[in-house]
Amino acid sequence: MLQTLPRRAVVALLALSVFFPIGLVLYQSILSGPFFMPASLSLESYAFIFDDPDFWLAGKNTLAVAFGMGAIAIPLGAVLAFIMVRTDLPGRRWLETPIMIPVFVSPVVLGFGYVVALGPVGFFSVWFQEIFGSVPWNIYSLTSIIIIAGLTHVPHVYLYSSSALRNLGSDVEEAARLSGASPFRVARDVSIPMVSPALLYVGVLVFFLGFEIFGLPLILGDPEGHLVLTTYLYKLTNKLGTPSYHLMAAVATCIIAVTFPLVLLQRVLLKSAQRFVAMKGKSARQRPLMLGPWKWLALALILAWLFVTVIVPVAGIALRSVVSSWGQGIHLLDVLTLDHFRAVFEEDTMIRSIINSILIGTLGGALAVGGYLAIGLATHRQNDGITRFVDYVILTPRAVPGLMAGLAVFWVFLFVPFLSPARSTLFSVWFAYTIVWLAYGMRLIQSALMQVGPELEEAGRLVGASRARVSRDITVPLIRNGLLGAWLLVFMIFEREYSTGVYLLSPGTEVIGAQIVSLWASGAVDVVAALSLINMALVGIGLAIALRFGVKLHD
Amino acid sequence: MTDKTILAVDNLALAYGDNPILKGVSMHLNRGEVVSLLGPSGSGKTTLLRAVAGLEQPHAGSVIIAGRAIYDAAANIDIPAEKRDLGLVFQSYALWPHKTVFDNVAYPLVLRKVAKNEIVQRVHAALKNLGLDHLAERYPHQLSGGQQQRVSIARALVYNPPVILLDEPLSNLDAKMREEARAWLRNLIVELQLSALVVTHDQSEAMAMSDRILLLNGGVIEQQGTPTEMYAQPQTFFVADFMGSNNIMKGRIGDIKGGEARIDLDNGLSVWGLRRTNAAIGHEATAVIRVEQLHLADGPGHNRAEVDLATSMFLGDRYEYVFHAGGDLLRAWGKRHEAAGKRWLELPPDALWIF
Amino acid sequence: MNIERRRFQRGLLAGLALAALHSTFTPAHAQTGSDLVAAAQKEGKLVIYGVTDNEQANHLIREFRTMYPAISVEYSNMSTTELYNRFISETAAGSSADVTWSSSMDLQIKLVNDGYAQPHKSAETAKLPEWANWKNEAFGTTYEPIGFVYNKRLIPANDVPQTHADFIKLLNTQTEKFKGKVNTYDPEKSGVGFMLVTQDKQVNAAGFTDLQKALGAVQVKVQASTGTMMERIASGENLIGYNLNAAYALTRAQKDPSIGIVLPKDYTLVLSRVMFIAKKAKNPNAAKLWLDFVLSKKGQEIIASKADLYAIRPDVEGDTTASGLKKQLGDALRPVAINTGLLTYLDQAKRLDFLKQWNSTVKGK
Repeated sequence: MLQTLPRRAVVALLALSVFFPIGLVLYQSILSGPFFMPASLSLESYAFIFDDPDFWLAGKNTLAVAFGMGAIAIPLGAVLAFIMVRTDLPGRRWLETPIMIPVFVSPVVLGFGYVVALGPVGFFSVWFQEIFGSVPWNIYSLTSIIIIAGLTHVPHVYLYSSSALRNLGSDVEEAARLSGASPFRVARDVSIPMVSPALLYVGVLVFFLGFEIFGLPLILGDPEGHLVLTTYLYKLTNKLGTPSYHLMAAVATCIIAVTFPLVLLQRVLLKSAQRFVAMKGKSARQRPLMLGPWKWLALALILAWLFVTVIVPVAGIALRSVVSSWGQGIHLLDVLTLDHFRAVFEEDTMIRSIINSILIGTLGGALAVGGYLAIGLATHRQNDGITRFVDYVILTPRAVPGLMAGLAVFWVFLFVPFLSPARSTLFSVWFAYTIVWLAYGMRLIQSALMQVGPELEEAGRLVGASRARVSRDITVPLIRNGLLGAWLLVFMIFEREYSTGVYLLSPGTEVIGAQIVSLWASGAVDVVAALSLINMALVGIGLAIALRFGVKLHD
Repeated sequence: MTDKTILAVDNLALAYGDNPILKGVSMHLNRGEVVSLLGPSGSGKTTLLRAVAGLEQPHAGSVIIAGRAIYDAAANIDIPAEKRDLGLVFQSYALWPHKTVFDNVAYPLVLRKVAKNEIVQRVHAALKNLGLDHLAERYPHQLSGGQQQRVSIARALVYNPPVILLDEPLSNLDAKMREEARAWLRNLIVELQLSALVVTHDQSEAMAMSDRILLLNGGVIEQQGTPTEMYAQPQTFFVADFMGSNNIMKGRIGDIKGGEARIDLDNGLSVWGLRRTNAAIGHEATAVIRVEQLHLADGPGHNRAEVDLATSMFLGDRYEYVFHAGGDLLRAWGKRHEAAGKRWLELPPDALWIF
Repeated sequence: MNIERRRFQRGLLAGLALAALHSTFTPAHAQTGSDLVAAAQKEGKLVIYGVTDNEQANHLIREFRTMYPAISVEYSNMSTTELYNRFISETAAGSSADVTWSSSMDLQIKLVNDGYAQPHKSAETAKLPEWANWKNEAFGTTYEPIGFVYNKRLIPANDVPQTHADFIKLLNTQTEKFKGKVNTYDPEKSGVGFMLVTQDKQVNAAGFTDLQKALGAVQVKVQASTGTMMERIASGENLIGYNLNAAYALTRAQKDPSIGIVLPKDYTLVLSRVMFIAKKAKNPNAAKLWLDFVLSKKGQEIIASKADLYAIRPDVEGDTTASGLKKQLGDALRPVAINTGLLTYLDQAKRLDFLKQWNSTVKGK
C-alpha cells in the first residue's frame, strides 16, 4: 500500500512504459516508411503483407503450431499432473523439479540442441541409424516443430492442472475406483473433467504461447523454409532488400490483434476457474491413488518424455560444444576440443555477454522484482478503478512478441532524449525484459502479496501506521521469502530470454540469449554451442539455489 | 448525546456496489461501557465495527469519537484508519509473525515516536497487565491461542486508545477456554475502565460481557438494551428467536384482551400469551416461549396442555424433555429423568410471546 | 530555398576540401600525416559497425590500437540488415557509427547513394582498383571469392565440380544422392545471398535457368548464413554448398579436414566488404585514419594473413590476396563492382519479381 501520490506516480510510469512502446509499434504499422523518416499515413504495409502469400502461409503454420501444441501439451500435461498429484508414483518428490526444467531452457538453445542431437546427422540420429538402418524422423519438418513445441510446453499445462487437482477431494476418485475404474479411467472420466476450467484456461495460454513461438521455428524451420508469423516478421527485414519497419510493425500488429483478445479471455477464464475451485471449498485430506503395476508404465512415460525434451537436446549441445566437427563418419573422440570455450573466453564481447547475462539476472532481476513490488503495492488491497486499470496494463505486454517489444524499446531509447544516453547500456535491455515479463513477475508478486492476511495490514493501520509504513514494516517483511523466490524465478527467466534483446544488441548490452540468436544468424555454430552450454549452466545454478532455498517452481 | 458519550455513530450507511450492508445505523457508546454488536452473519455487525475503525468505506452518516468527527459524509471528513487512534483486537489476533511479542506491542509506540526507554517501560507494563511479561521475546507462532489473544489485546491497549474494538474476540478459542476467557476479558475491561465495542455472533457471550447489546439484522438495529431487557423483553420475533433457546409454534390469533392474546396453534393447542403483534383475530401469528420457561405440571389448568413425552435427554446439568404436540416438537428442561408417556405441560402466559 | 543553400554550401565545402587535398598532395603522408593523426587522437574514439566477426575484426583493431593508443575503438558486430536499420534509425535520432563495414554491398551503396557518407581521398584510397572505389565515398576493402564448399569425406575427388557447368551436371546426374543434400543461401533471408544469385544471373545469363532447375531438382536446402551451411556440410547432413564465401570456408577448412573448397574455373564471383565514413560521424578524423589503415599495406596484410579474409590491394602478395587469386584464376574472376548497378534489385518490384521467379523454379512454389 502506498500513499496516493507515489501510487499515482507508479501507475503513470507503468502505463507510460507499457503503452508508449506498443503505441509506437501500432503507429509505425500505419506509416509508409520508418517513423523517423518522412513517411505518410497509409495502410500500404497491411496491403503488402496481406498480398504476400508467405504471410498467409506463415499464418497457417502458426495456427497449426498453436493448435498442434495444444493437442499434444494439454492431454500430456493433464495426465502428468494427475500422475504427479493424485497417485503413488514412485519418486514423485524427486521428479517434481526435473519436469519443470523445459520451462527454463531457452527455446533457441533447445532448438539448437535438437539439430545437433536429432538432425539428419545428429549424434542420436547417427547412433540410431547404425543400429536400425534408417532414421524415421525429420527434425526440420513442421510436424517435428509442433511435436517439440508441444512436448516442451507440457510443464505449463502441468503447472495449472496440478494446482487445480490439488484442490480436488480424493473421495470422488475413490468412488470411481470402487465402481471398477482403472487409474487411467479415473483420470480420464473423473479427475481431469473436474479440473476442466483450469484446462480451458491453460488451453488458451498454450494456444497463445504457440502464437508467439519464435526460437524453435527460427532454428528448426529454417532449412525447409517453414515460417511462422514471428519468423516471418524477423525475415521481412531482408525480403525487400532494404529493411522495412512498417511491414514488421504491421505483422506485429496482426499478431497482437490475435493475442490481445486471448490475454483478455485468459483473464476471464482465470476468474471463472478460481470461482470453480472456491465453490468446492476446502477438500478432504487427499489420499494418493494406488497405481499398482501401472506405476511402472507411468514412470516410464514420464522418463521417456524427460529424455526427449531435456536430455536429448542438452546432451546434444554439451557434446557439440566439445567437438570441432561432427556427423557421419566422424569419431567423436578424435575431434574432442575445448577450443570453443577458449574462443568464448578470449573474446571480449562473449565475456561481456556472460557478465551482462549474470548482471541482468541477478541485479536486473532484483530491480525488476522491486519494480513489480512497487506496482503490486500500489494496487494491493485497493479495489478501485486504478487497480482494474493496472490489471489490464500488466497483461498488455504479454500480447506483444518479445522480438518486437525489444525493437520498440530500442526506438524509445533512441528517440526519447533523456533516455538516449542509456540506450547502449544494460539499462535498456533491463527495461525491455522487465516490460516483457511484467505479467509473469506480477503474478509472482501478487500471489506472494495474497498470502499476507489482510488483518495483519489492517492491524498496522489501526495502531497508527500509514499505508506506506504498513508496506514497509509489515507487508514487505512478511513476503520476504516470496520476494526471494520471485527473484530467483525472474533470474532464470531473464537468463532464458533471447528474442527481446536481439534488436538491442550493441557493445555494452550483449546478453547470451540475444548473442546466440545473432551468432546463429552469422553461423558461428561452435561458439553458439559453447554459449548455450554456459547459458544452461547459469540457469542451472539459479535452479539449484532456488531449490536450496525451497522456492516452489509453481504455485 | 452527552459528555459521557465516547463514541457516537449516526445514521451510518454503507454498500458494496449495489448491495447495501448498513442501512443507516445509529448508536452510541458511553465512557467505561461495553457494548456488543450482536447479530447473525451478514447482519452488518462486523462491517459496522470496521467502518468505525476506518477499514470500510461508508457513504453516508457520521462517526464521532471523544467529540472528534472521524467520519462525516456531509462535511466530507474521513480520517484514515491510522489517525483514528482506535484499538482493534482482530478475530484472528493479526499478530505480525515476523515481530516478537515485544515488537508487536511496541510498534504502535514506535509509530508515535515515543522515546525508547519509555517504550520498553510501557510495553512491559502492558504485558504485565495481561500476564505475558515472560513471553516478550517469543514469536507469535510460539504462543498458544489464548496467549496470542492477550498479546493482541496488549497491542491494542498500549497506546491508550479512547475506545477499544473487539472483533469476535473469543471465537478462535476452543469451547472450554471460551468461558474462562469471557470472564477474564470482562474483568479486564471493568478493571481498566475501558470503553469497548465488541462484535459477536454468540448471544450468551454478548450478554455475559456487555452492559448493552445492539442486535443487528439486515443492516439495521433490530433492538438495543441491557442484556436482561434483550432477553426478557424482545420486541420482535427476530430478537426473541435470536436471544435464547425457544419453542416456536405457528397458529392464528383466537382472541385479544388488551396486552394479551390467545393463539390457536396449528398443533392443536390453544394458549394465552403477551401480545407483540398487531395482527387481528383470525390472522396468522407465531408463539415463542423459552425452553426453560416450559415446565411439567401435575394436571390440567390455565395454559396447560396434555402432550406426549417422547424422550428425556441427559445434558449433564439437567435433562431435556422432547414432547410431541401435533406436528411440533416441544422442548423443556427439568431436573429429573422422566419416563415416556402422556404428561401435562404448562406454558406460563407471561413468558409466552405472540408475534 | 534553405535546402538549396545547404546543398550549395556542402558542394562548396567539398570542393574546397578537394582543392585543399589536391594542392597539398604529397603521397602517403598528407592524409595519415600528423594533422589527421592529431585530430583523430583528439577525438580519442572510433565507433565501427561491422558484419565481420569480432574475432577477425579484432586483428585489425588490435594493430590499429598499437599504432594509435590514444584512440579507443568500439566495434559492434551485427547482421547486415541490423547494421542498416540501426544506422539509419540512429542517424535519424542524431548520430550513429563513424564507420560502417558490411559485406552487403548493395545496402552499403544504398546508404552512400542516399547521402549518408562523407568523401575521403588519400594515398591509400588511390591504391584501390577503380571498381572498388565509388566516388571516394564507398570503398571495397576485401577480395572474397565465392565458390563451392563440399564434404571431402563424402564426395569422391573425381566428382568434385570445377565449373558451374560441372556443378549442374553433378546434380543432374546424381540427383538421388544429392536430393536434400545441397545447400545455398536463402535469397529471401540473406541480403548477400540475394546479391550473389542476381550476380550469377548477370554474369552467366545463359546457364542461370539450368542452375535453378538443377537446384530445384535436388530440393536445395536454403540457409540464412554461411556458418550454418558449412556446419551442415561438415557434418555430412549436406554434401555440397553453392555460393559460399571461400574466405569463411578457408578458416573452417584449417580446423576441419572434411571441408573442401572449389573456386569455379569458368567464373568466380568476388565480394568486397564495403566501408564508408558516416556523414554525421562524431569522430570523422579517427574514421579517416581507420579507413586509411584498413586500406594500407599493413592493414591489407592483416586482412590476408590473420583475419582470414582476402586482401584487395593489388600490391599485397600471397595466396589470400587479389593478386594471388589472379595468378590462380586469371580472367575467371568477376568482382562485383561497387556502383549504383547494385541498386537495381533494391527496387521493390524487381526484387519481389526475382524472388517469385526463384521460388517457382527452385522451391517449386
